[in-house]
Amino acid sequence: MKVKIVSIPVLDQDNALDFYTNKLGFVKKHDVPLSEKNRWLTVVDKEEQEGTEVLLEPSPENFEPSRTYQKALFDAGIPYTQFNVDDVQKEYDRLLKLGVVFSVKPTAMGTVKIAVFNDTCGNNIQIVEML
Amino acid sequence: MSFYQTEINRIKDICYSNDQQLATVIAIRNFIDQHFDGELNLDLLAHMRFTSRFHLLRLFKKYYGLTPKQYLTIKRLEAAKKCLREGMPIADTCYRAGFDTPSSFSTLFKSKIGVSPIEFQKRATFAK
Repeated sequence: MKVKIVSIPVLDQDNALDFYTNKLGFVKKHDVPLSEKNRWLTVVDKEEQEGTEVLLEPSPENFEPSRTYQKALFDAGIPYTQFNVDDVQKEYDRLLKLGVVFSVKPTAMGTVKIAVFNDTCGNNIQIVEML
Repeated sequence: MSFYQTEINRIKDICYSNDQQLATVIAIRNFIDQHFDGELNLDLLAHMRFTSRFHLLRLFKKYYGLTPKQYLTIKRLEAAKKCLREGMPIADTCYRAGFDTPSSFSTLFKSKIGVSPIEFQKRATFAK
């Protein structure tokens, strides 16, 4: 078995594609229509386009328990997933300038530094730098 | 304060309260990051921080979940992938990333990355 895809539930796929590409810097890999409004939509790391894909999955719009779970995590401030960065402070400054809202500012936690932002698609996302 | 922020503080207090140990392992990791392409061994790393090999090994594993050797291998493989993406020949990549011989490098690369260095380079070129 190979890990090729991880998924993130998103409330709106158009908005998600815009946020994950134009703000976070991922690039679109697959965009396949699956029904009238749903798509198989994945993005990848710009520098490792053959690597693991992130599926921007419209599950909260299509399956109520998914929406409930997503909202519960969001309300508790818990990140749905995390991405690694070289420099959390630098990325925090860059995203802040783009209007991204953070619930946890850059914080050292043992051997990592973390920060948490709102992806505008219903999720908290954590960025992590290994110290 | 959100539930998550409260948890962060709680975990920090439980797991990361020993600043001296943290400083040691972070310094060792930074040293590996800066010298991964040279000859590194546990004796050298332990000597740097005036500690024993066994203590260093235990601390590094406690905080990073890996031994220094495992971390060094990951670091070298990352460097090798970067070189291969840039089109560097396999032998040059091997030495640049700190591996001893092209054959041991290729064997390790395939076992950890899933494809040989040459196949990885072909795919990276094709993806551009």
